[in-house]
Amino acid sequence: MLVDTEKEITKMHRMLYSTRNEIGKTYYRWRQVAVELAGDNVKPLDVSLRAAEVFGKDIGKSFLPRMNWLKGEEGFLMILAKSLAGLWNTEGGLATIEKGEKPGEIKIKCLRDPWPTWAKEYGAPMEEVAVCRERMYQTILEDVSAFMNVPLKIELQKAIARGEGETVMTLSKVE
Amino acid sequence: MAKTLFEWDYADYPGAKTYPHLFKPIQIGNLMVPNRIKYAATEDNLNGHDGFVTDAGVEYMRQRAIGVVGGLCFMQGVYMDPKRQGQGYVGQAACWDDKFIPGLKRICDAIHKAKAVAGFQLMDCGRVGAVEVDYCHGPSAVPQRLRIFKPVEEMTNADVKTMIQQHADAARRGVEAGFDIMEISGIVGYLISNFISSYTNRRTDEYGGDLRGRMQAVVEIIQGVKDVCGSDVPVGIRLCSEELLDDVRGNTPEESMETYKIAEEAGADYISCTLGWQESIYPVISRDIPMGNWIHLAKRAKEHVSIPVQMAYRLFKPELPNEKIGAGELDQWEICRSMIADPHMPKKVAEGKETEIRHCVACNLCLARLFRDAPMTCYINPVCAHEWQQEFANPKPAEEEKEVMIVGAGPAGLECAYMAASRGHEVHVYDKRDVIGGTLNEAKNAPYGDDELWTCIEYQKVMCEKAGVNFHLGTEVTDDLIEDEMPDTVVLATGPAYSKIEAPGGDSDKIVNLLDVMSDKAEVGETVVMYGNRKPGIGCALHLAKQGKKVTIVGKEKSAGFDVNPSFKWRYMIYMRQNGITVYNDCDIDEITDEGVVVKAYDGIRWPIKCDTVVVSDRGPNESLKKTVQSEGIELFVIGDALIPRNLSSAVHDGYRIGIRL
Repeated sequence: MLVDTEKEITKMHRMLYSTRNEIGKTYYRWRQVAVELAGDNVKPLDVSLRAAEVFGKDIGKSFLPRMNWLKGEEGFLMILAKSLAGLWNTEGGLATIEKGEKPGEIKIKCLRDPWPTWAKEYGAPMEEVAVCRERMYQTILEDVSAFMNVPLKIELQKAIARGEGETVMTLSKVE
Repeated sequence: MAKTLFEWDYADYPGAKTYPHLFKPIQIGNLMVPNRIKYAATEDNLNGHDGFVTDAGVEYMRQRAIGVVGGLCFMQGVYMDPKRQGQGYVGQAACWDDKFIPGLKRICDAIHKAKAVAGFQLMDCGRVGAVEVDYCHGPSAVPQRLRIFKPVEEMTNADVKTMIQQHADAARRGVEAGFDIMEISGIVGYLISNFISSYTNRRTDEYGGDLRGRMQAVVEIIQGVKDVCGSDVPVGIRLCSEELLDDVRGNTPEESMETYKIAEEAGADYISCTLGWQESIYPVISRDIPMGNWIHLAKRAKEHVSIPVQMAYRLFKPELPNEKIGAGELDQWEICRSMIADPHMPKKVAEGKETEIRHCVACNLCLARLFRDAPMTCYINPVCAHEWQQEFANPKPAEEEKEVMIVGAGPAGLECAYMAASRGHEVHVYDKRDVIGGTLNEAKNAPYGDDELWTCIEYQKVMCEKAGVNFHLGTEVTDDLIEDEMPDTVVLATGPAYSKIEAPGGDSDKIVNLLDVMSDKAEVGETVVMYGNRKPGIGCALHLAKQGKKVTIVGKEKSAGFDVNPSFKWRYMIYMRQNGITVYNDCDIDEITDEGVVVKAYDGIRWPIKCDTVVVSDRGPNESLKKTVQSEGIELFVIGDALIPRNLSSAVHDGYRIGIRL
């Protein structure tokens, strides 16, 4: 066939990376606008956390059609954790899930995250990244918990500000 | 002694002999209903956005009332709260004030004029309501699964009591308007069902908790409505026999049957047996669900209650309800979409004119339009919702009789033919095929219920014969034939022209046409690329996948099946996934090689797909014969896929519109 597959894949790969890069940068450009408009009385971190809530609320809505209790509580939590990890991966992360030490606990681990790099590039604190992700996931879970009538929580266990090394969150039911 | 409103004697109706159980009376409460037929309350979006009844709504109901030949005819459910949180459809009738009574009386009078029993339905749409306001209401603020619906506001205890009273007040207005029977709607995710379901009711007051608690509002509504209706006006309720919400921990079927018993204890005079919610992940009434699939639920309901049980849900033909009523497994045949498609359907059954029924094809276009704030329409019945426009619904005979040549005996041509002939024209239908039906001959072979589409052709054939249409099958219309015949009018209903693949290798012998594949005339390899991602391509892809072939769809449209209405499209998406069909949208075929095809996306990315066969399903307008007709100065109309390739509905509607204009 008259297709140079290596060339086509390279082209797609570049496009994917550029798209991700632009999305990350666009977020920080908007953050800059929001921080400026918010004025000196508002902390930049609060602006970022509010953005995380807005994102989380909308992403949470997109999760609801896929929520399914037919596989039981454990199956439900696994699917939910997969969706949260999948979201991270779509943004350029390298996230996986595994069962936690405690019963009913699932760990979401991310080995690489491009967001701190973008944060640094635009003068935002890299430390913000992990906290904002935690807040975004917590907001997602608000709607999921209310929808399924199962109180859920997600907690940040470990994070390295630069985005290298391992970031760990745990998803579990509130007992 | 039960009250009889209108005397009906079906002795002279041939259908009453064929289907004796459908045409025997039944007592509901203290009311004697002459037969077992019910037009179920159906929203139509034909009323004013202020909730007042319109001429369109009255005439729509008048035709359905004629159709039930003395049976039950329910107007659409009315919303009852002035805040309009319970309003689920922009054109839903309102009943929150006495000012609505005169309009409602017009509908009631129209039903009575047809000697039918007039039914009034109370319907608060709950979590699928608030179509005109920002928040809907419900027992608990459970987030919406589907974005199309508004956020839910939890009702206070006082709100619940007000809502119960609103049902009683609206029922009183319905009685004042003259209605004979009252119904409470508790189906598909509306407010009553929200109270009943463990999925949406998490209240801790007397209106929540266990099943009895969740039914408390329903019990008080039934009792309140019964109080205002008195003993002469029976009160029924529509309730889910299965919610189909296991995935979100809704009620079990056993709990649903318990709700039937509680409703009966509270005084309900009948139960209408329904199933599924709008949020359910299972299909219930689309064409892929076999006819009669759910009828066992009526039998189960009858095992739990002693009051009459009614049911609809894929019961489009009289045989099964007649049999089940005879066997004591059902009491009344509810009809909804079948009477949208043909308002006189049961009347035709009674008159022994079943071949003249225009059958519903279960496409759910009617529902798709209602959910998108558009007036009711029907895929297959062009007159639906136009009943009040006499020139459209009952066109006058032609002022000048013409000789009309219709080229093409597909659904567009046939629809046009019988309409034109019935208005006095001399109509000749030509087709190069030996059979009528056009491309539906092939389309009906697609899986998941597409054989039901053929009922359209069966109906049109009978109507053409009745109207005296002349057929010239096996005759290809040429320029010479047109010049010889010189008709007054030519209608081109030739169907589409199939696209050619304009790419290197476009003359490859591995390319075959969709029609040849669907009629098993073409040899198709094990791996197939379907060129075209509209409905015909999807239908053919599924047909091949069902034979075990590996199919990849490549199409220019941004989304596969964009020409399929949203209430059915989701089914196709699931079936394509289940059958392992890969879909590349927004793509074209860039090259056809010995090994397969090269696909090119909109942004220039190219990749190879191995395949043995390429099926062309992409279509364009058919320009043939147009120039000849125009050069001869003959009046010309182009309809159906020959004009713009669309779907069966457009073909039928085009044909009808031109048929009444000629």
